[in-house]
Amino acid sequence: MIDRCFTFIIWLTAGIVFLAFGWLISEVVVQGVGKLSWSFLTDEPARSGREGGIYPIIVSTLLILGTALVIVIPLGLGSAIWLAEFTKKSSKRVQSTRLILDVLAGVPSIVFGLFGYAFFCGFLDLGFSILSGGLTLACMMLPILIRTTEAGLTAVPNDWRRAGAALGVSRTTLLWQVLLPYASPAITAGLLLSIGRATAETAALIFTSGYVDRMPESLNDSGRALAVHIYDLSMNVVGGDKAAYGSALVLIIMVVIINLSANALSEFWLEKKINRLQ
Amino acid sequence: MRLFSLFVKVTTAIGGSVGVATFLVMLSGATTFHATTLHAKENTRLVLTGSSTVAPLALEMAKRFEKSHPGVRIDVQTGGSSRGVADARAGRADIGMASRSLKQSESDLFSYTIALDGITIILNKDNPVKTLSNDQIRNIYTGNIKNWNQVGGRDTRITVVNKAEGRSTLELFLHHLALKNSDIKASVVIGDNQQGIKTVSGNPGAIGYVSVGAAEFEADYGTPIKLLPMGGVDATVETIKHRRFPLSRPLNFITKQKPHGMIEKFILFAQSTVVNDLIEEQYFVSLAVPLK
Repeated sequence: MIDRCFTFIIWLTAGIVFLAFGWLISEVVVQGVGKLSWSFLTDEPARSGREGGIYPIIVSTLLILGTALVIVIPLGLGSAIWLAEFTKKSSKRVQSTRLILDVLAGVPSIVFGLFGYAFFCGFLDLGFSILSGGLTLACMMLPILIRTTEAGLTAVPNDWRRAGAALGVSRTTLLWQVLLPYASPAITAGLLLSIGRATAETAALIFTSGYVDRMPESLNDSGRALAVHIYDLSMNVVGGDKAAYGSALVLIIMVVIINLSANALSEFWLEKKINRLQ
Repeated sequence: MRLFSLFVKVTTAIGGSVGVATFLVMLSGATTFHATTLHAKENTRLVLTGSSTVAPLALEMAKRFEKSHPGVRIDVQTGGSSRGVADARAGRADIGMASRSLKQSESDLFSYTIALDGITIILNKDNPVKTLSNDQIRNIYTGNIKNWNQVGGRDTRITVVNKAEGRSTLELFLHHLALKNSDIKASVVIGDNQQGIKTVSGNPGAIGYVSVGAAEFEADYGTPIKLLPMGGVDATVETIKHRRFPLSRPLNFITKQKPHGMIEKFILFAQSTVVNDLIEEQYFVSLAVPLK
């Protein structure tokens, strides 16, 4: 009887979550699918975005995200490897680093936005630019990626490291061939979480990469991100709701594509390294 | 172990070079940014920041201006009226945008009105009520008056339509009636003007407030709504244009110095009849007098 109740509750919660999610997606799809067309993806916006397409905005979004990833991936992986493999867990400095990272991972994005506006746009004199936006996003993404990667590396059984040492495998080889591939699902998860946070970002980007919906000519140009475009259409433009839903649908599709390809990449790596050992 | 320390060195080197590369990119960015600010002195690039209400309009004006002035780039950024004023004063923007008049403390700046925005109460056409005083509106919106027969109408429940948080029309409305948003007992909360007009046209007991331009446009095209006068002044584009309508605000361009060169050209362009269609498209009221 208790078992049955428990099963029912589990099904119920799963159902509620699925329903809420399904409702959200179907709302966006139903409202946005009419707007979706090839020309919507390849045209410039017209009439404040109510008509025309979102091509420059997609390009800006990808450039901002790309800039952020180029900085986040090497720095994030490096710091996580250092934290997980090269430090003593009990050391005060390491623990305070962890605490700081955890706090940073939970800081509201507008705080990063203000920091980015003051530091990248103002102090470094980058102005409103894709570069400022990407760097600000990088600051937001780093703590998430570092902490998840570190957790993934810590989860690798210590026996593997000992076995490696016993076989005389160098630490570098062990890291590349065993530890990182083993942790790759966690790294991917961290990367996807941070990409999700970045693509959803509006507040921080309005102040850093800006509002200009023209095709960016370089990373020093201001470029409007999709999330900013959706926000503007639904809040400031009379009759912009349809285009907002269309853009939201494009954003969702983009995130799905990024997720699938990241997952496929990590599977591929895992397969190539770990399974060959078995 | 040696290999491993080599690895560490390599990674630090990579990290370092990435850092240096980023720094160099930043530096080049910084220099080009300087270059562009220098260009701005030659008036080929303008930066506008400020009110999110004005920004979509300014962006469209900028696009049209760029078309007729090759080589000119106008970057429009948002952030709110106060930021527009602050950026114009600090020189971070060539032109600031504000959806309000300048305050006393800002009288050292120059402001140029490019359009006006007015809002008014709308009712369903079937509603016999012809006018409402500010007190009556206040009581309806705070939930003290719940039935139309209390203000001379039929025995129908009042459906209060309010705007969503963050809308500039909401702020203007609240400011005019000296209310706080938390005081308002709304039955329906809506987003844009179109939605407000649809709600009121479909519900004989509804009361809402929308942009005058949008409402007049819809009423002319047969949507069953009517615009109520505010403070005895009819809500029309004409009364807003002549600044007689109480519930209106100017949409301003703000500069630190008396505008010259390309800045002046753009402000004159924004105040000319050439952009009337853009202003109407955002449901604002143009001040430019057509040359007829």
